[in-house]
Amino acid sequence: MTTNVPVIDAHPAVPSLPKNYLNCSAGFMSWAGTLDHKRIGLMYLIGTGIAFLAGGLFALLVRLHLWEPHGMLFSNETYNQVFTLHGAFMVFLFVIPAIPGSLGNMVMPLMLGAKDVALPRLNLLSFYLWITGAVLATLAIILGGFDTGWTFYTPYSLYTDQAVVSIGLAVFTLGFSSIFTGLNFIVTVHKLRAPGLTWFRMPLFVWAIYATSILQVLATPVLGITVLLVAFERLYHIGIFDPRLGGDPVLFEHFFWFYSHPAVYIMVLPAFGIISELVSVHSRKPLFGYKLIAFSSIAIAIISFLVWGHHMFTSGQSTYAMFAFSFLTFFVAIPTAIKEFSWVATIWKGSIALNSPMLYTLAFLIIFAIGGLTGVILGSLNVDLHLHDTYFVVAHFHYVMMGSIALAFFAGLHHWWPKMFGVMYDETLAKIACGIIFVGFNATFIPQFIMGSQGMPRRYATYVPEFAGYHMASTCGAMLLGCGVALMVYYLVASLLQRKPAMENQWGGVTLDWQTPTPPPLENFHTPPKVVHEVYDYSTLDLHSMQRPIS
Amino acid sequence: MFALLTQDPAKINYVADPAKAPTLDAFGQLPELASTFGHVDGLFYFTYAVCIFFFVLIVGVLLFSVVKYHRKTFDQPAASNVTHNTPLEVVWTVIPLIIVMVMFAWGFDGCMDMHYAPHAASQNQFKATAKQWSWTFNYPNDPSQSFNEVWIPVDKPVQFVLESTDVLHAFYMPSMRVKRDVIPGRLQTVWFHPKKEGEFHLFCAEYCGDDHSRMYAKVHVVKQSVYDTRPWDQWKDATPAEAAASGESLYKQICASCHSVNGTPSVGPSWKGMFTKQGENYVGRQREVVEGGAKKTITVDDAYITESIQKPDQKKVAEEPYVKNAMTAFPTLEERKIKGLIQYMKSLADAK
Amino acid sequence: MSHDGHHSVVVPAPGPEFVPHTVAHHFDTPVQEFQAAKLGFWLFLATEILLFGGLFAAYFYYHEMYPETFKVGGHQLDWKLGALNTTVLLASSWTMAMGVRSAQTSQKQKTLMFCGLTVLGAAAFMVVKFFEYSAKNEHGFIVFKNLFAPYDEATGQLAWFQPHGTEMANVPHGHMFFAIYLTMTAIHGLHVIIGAGLIVWVMKGVAKGRFHSGYFLPVDLVGLYWHLVDLIWIFLFPLLYLVP
Ligand code: HEA
Ligand code: HEA
Ligand code: HEC
Ligand code: CUA
Ligand SMILES: [Cu+2]
Repeated sequence: MTTNVPVIDAHPAVPSLPKNYLNCSAGFMSWAGTLDHKRIGLMYLIGTGIAFLAGGLFALLVRLHLWEPHGMLFSNETYNQVFTLHGAFMVFLFVIPAIPGSLGNMVMPLMLGAKDVALPRLNLLSFYLWITGAVLATLAIILGGFDTGWTFYTPYSLYTDQAVVSIGLAVFTLGFSSIFTGLNFIVTVHKLRAPGLTWFRMPLFVWAIYATSILQVLATPVLGITVLLVAFERLYHIGIFDPRLGGDPVLFEHFFWFYSHPAVYIMVLPAFGIISELVSVHSRKPLFGYKLIAFSSIAIAIISFLVWGHHMFTSGQSTYAMFAFSFLTFFVAIPTAIKEFSWVATIWKGSIALNSPMLYTLAFLIIFAIGGLTGVILGSLNVDLHLHDTYFVVAHFHYVMMGSIALAFFAGLHHWWPKMFGVMYDETLAKIACGIIFVGFNATFIPQFIMGSQGMPRRYATYVPEFAGYHMASTCGAMLLGCGVALMVYYLVASLLQRKPAMENQWGGVTLDWQTPTPPPLENFHTPPKVVHEVYDYSTLDLHSMQRPIS
Repeated sequence: MFALLTQDPAKINYVADPAKAPTLDAFGQLPELASTFGHVDGLFYFTYAVCIFFFVLIVGVLLFSVVKYHRKTFDQPAASNVTHNTPLEVVWTVIPLIIVMVMFAWGFDGCMDMHYAPHAASQNQFKATAKQWSWTFNYPNDPSQSFNEVWIPVDKPVQFVLESTDVLHAFYMPSMRVKRDVIPGRLQTVWFHPKKEGEFHLFCAEYCGDDHSRMYAKVHVVKQSVYDTRPWDQWKDATPAEAAASGESLYKQICASCHSVNGTPSVGPSWKGMFTKQGENYVGRQREVVEGGAKKTITVDDAYITESIQKPDQKKVAEEPYVKNAMTAFPTLEERKIKGLIQYMKSLADAK
Repeated sequence: MSHDGHHSVVVPAPGPEFVPHTVAHHFDTPVQEFQAAKLGFWLFLATEILLFGGLFAAYFYYHEMYPETFKVGGHQLDWKLGALNTTVLLASSWTMAMGVRSAQTSQKQKTLMFCGLTVLGAAAFMVVKFFEYSAKNEHGFIVFKNLFAPYDEATGQLAWFQPHGTEMANVPHGHMFFAIYLTMTAIHGLHVIIGAGLIVWVMKGVAKGRFHSGYFLPVDLVGLYWHLVDLIWIFLFPLLYLVP
């Protein structure tokens, strides 16, 4: 799609070497077989973007159906398939791979001053595994769909007559895609830092990706074996998760959440990284508490392995298990609180540019505070017994997954868009879209908090009429949100066609990704960079020349 | 996937007849509390207040900064270059730590309360059997069952033993603040102390397949004196003969077009031999049925007949031609009429 | 990928029968390349261990739940064959180590010989496995032809587990032991086959002279992989054949 887009003639920035990674070679194979991290990142961006739109479309169908208490569009069975598809697409095809795969691939090697990731072939393999997973998931829809919920809880997932094996294999493949990306990034951070780039001079986006990668490598294999066991169970009835055969369905829950709790931090840590980066650049101020933020990423990564049981408070664990899981759940909130406060303190007395990346960042800070604090409510043992599996939980995780992670992704996308393509989008439209998304989002999910705490269970195709008002409000919000997203897609795509050139250093960043031509050449830097300054030291920035393309 | 694309209106039950909506309490968040688990509300609103405090704090600082420190020219440097402030960082680590530890202790304490049933509750033990997609209740010291509806006495701790015959379900009563997963192959219990009379929702809160959202039961919390009249047993006053007579007239009105009572095959299977009499008890016959594509053998009982009337497609008689024939569903037939029909079927065994 | 005028580092070959190695364009030194690949591979091995970790967790969980079943089940396996296979794998681990050593010292013929021996070991392991599986098939512990037959809900009988007349018929959920046995050994067997394939691939490179004292990374990594396969078996053997 983007093969020949930004041949930016109007942009004589680097006359000595006009070629960049986008136009240095052309043709299908130069993309399909590329080992360049930036091209792979771009392909990830397109893929995960499509997955998000597809998942969003399913979400809109869910919301439309729930307009009326007895359901407006589908039979119960079809509704169940639609929300399962929504959850599975969003989680496995969008949030987990999106930020590491696209922005991580694109930006992290630049920030390290490296020519590429350490294992470029493996990087391409990760992408093809992602494609394979996406194809398998789509195949599962064609084979009859699947209605297990994104959690695949046994024994229902063993008995239902749907394409569970196909989606299981999809998740397995996507898991390995994620593992290989993580593995690659760990090696890259360890081995390919530019001279002078010590650990504590690394931008926080790199720290965040590094912590994420550790989680990906250590948690995902367990999900892999779990879905494999479910597939075996369906194929030859091993009995491990099947109570009819003496198995224990609760064991499956343990296996599943042992991965899927760390997975929520696999999703959110890269978003934290983006926000750390953006808060600093757009406030033109060193990040407050750099080291503490770096360490808190690692702390979150470690603690997150020990809290999976908070998804299972109602399933009859021993009181000791509940004690430990609840205690540690609260503990994980502390490093996160440190991050949130540090971001706010960075903005304090900064020089704040209210451009679209910053607007998305501010939206993130507000929404994440709500999303995280409602997580803390759910961590309270007795309250969770009331709120578990209600719309309160649904609202909680949309506040963190859509409201925080997706918005952070959008923020990063707007921030690095000029870097990636050398073009600028329409800032006015961008600000309007950000406003619509913010309002639409809150209108969608605040009613869900209220009806959830009143006892509206989730995964309901029909509901008792007293909740109708909240559902209608939520549906209206979702439609507004959909308009905002559509507007965003519109002006971003339009910017590629209009080709309004971006500045070399559009926002005045000081990390290495802004020290290379825009868009970057094939091997990133014309001369190997050397780092001599501390990170986020804006006194080194030449505020004057930054405004124009370097000529 | 596209086989059954739209809703089957016959399956909607509670929409026609929901329990009365619970009133909201002052904060407009939790439904009115009807049990003794007030610590849930306490901690919920405490955390709510904490959330609002931090939310206002954060949004306030952000708004103030955005207005005050807005960048006016593109090359304007920041007003401050502070990179850290140790006392401040200690403060914002320690204060949240204290707050969450309070929440943890409060929550754990409340959870222990909900976890360990008092002796009185285990003396007042009901059984709730969950299956796709209905609830069947058994009463303490009482042989009868009720279906998707249960009566409990007010102001007396009660315990439910939870059993699942197929997949995971969850017993959820928002007004009582209780929820417990129902796990096949594991014994689970839940207890609470109802303090208010009324009708309350019982939802299935764990996803269990197609009709998960319709797996609904109504809970009547009633005075002990009302409870003692065994309201779930609609024909308690009538003699079995009276009930059977009313059942017979109903049979002639609506069922006889498809069911015989003398063994003659019809659209549906004959009711002859549905029950046999052993001493004073009626024992249901064995029946091979197809459920969800799988064959199984069940014993005919009140619950099965009730289900056959309300959701006939749930378990199809595994016998030609009945597997293929469809029966009209009567989802709104009143409980007492169903009881009458069942009594009539049983009385067929007397005649011999 | 074209290198756009960037010069790559080349490691010279130690002799005429070898080819020089070109360091990948994005690395500055061969040492950096070697360390990066090595770190990556160790991480990969960690994921493999965690993958099996899930299976071990299931094993311990059900061993706790049905100790009797696992005890009796363990007796049904032939520990002598298991011990034989353990020896075979240990020996092949040694030959693999020698193969890596010879590659590091540029001894082409010896590398080929030791790698060949390792592949033979893998083959021997699979042959023994085949006989073990057939025995299970005969006793009705794992009836392979019925493996994918649907579950009969009415009788509650598994088609692939027909242990009539054996001790296994008298313990609760006897199939559980054999399901775990089959799953673990089959996944492990798959690793053995993949490992053997990788060694054959390495041997092709050795024959062409691509691996020598200046560049032996793939031999090293495949060697590590083979040791992992061996290590997992060292755990499987006592857990399955000598149930504690
Ligand atoms: C990326 C996603 C993401 C993130 C970041 C989080 C973050 C957190 N989550 Fe969430 N969660 C999900 C995704 C996520 N969650 C999903 C998908 C589910 C449901 C899955 C399903 O069932 O389908 C779920 C469900 C879930 C449950 C189970 C609910 C149930 O089913 O009964 C619980 C319970 O403890 C929980 C807790 C938390 C906590 C304590 C945090 C913490 O990390 C939050 C920390 C953040 C803050 C605390 C806010 C910032 C700090 C301040 C503003 C300062 C002030 C702070 C204090 C005073 C404490 N989550
Ligand atoms: C990253 C994760 C993510 C994201 C971003 C979202 C985004 C949204 N989600 Fe989702 N959701 C989940 C993850 C996510 N969700 C998960 C894991 C579940 C649980 C599933 C389960 O229970 O198993 C769930 C469940 C869930 C439910 C509960 C269903 C139920 O329990 O019965 C609801 C209901 O309102 C909902 C709504 C929404 C809405 C309105 C959005 C919106 O924010 C969506 C906004 C996006 C758009 C509106 C897209 C715009 C698209 C267009 C404009 C079309 C253009 C098209 C082309 C160009 C092709 N979601
Ligand atoms: C339109 C025809 C029709 C009508 C009217 C009808 N039934 Fe049925 N019934 C059937 C058929 C066909 C079956 C067998 C298929 C099945 O199990 O769904 C059946 C099965 C049953 C069964 C299970 C029988 C068994 O032997 O296991 C019961 C109980 C039953 N019906 C009760 C009733 C009652 C009570 C009424 C009246 C209120 C009624 N039916 C009205 C057609 C009908
Ligand atoms: Cu039963 Cu949901
Ligand atoms: Cu969690």
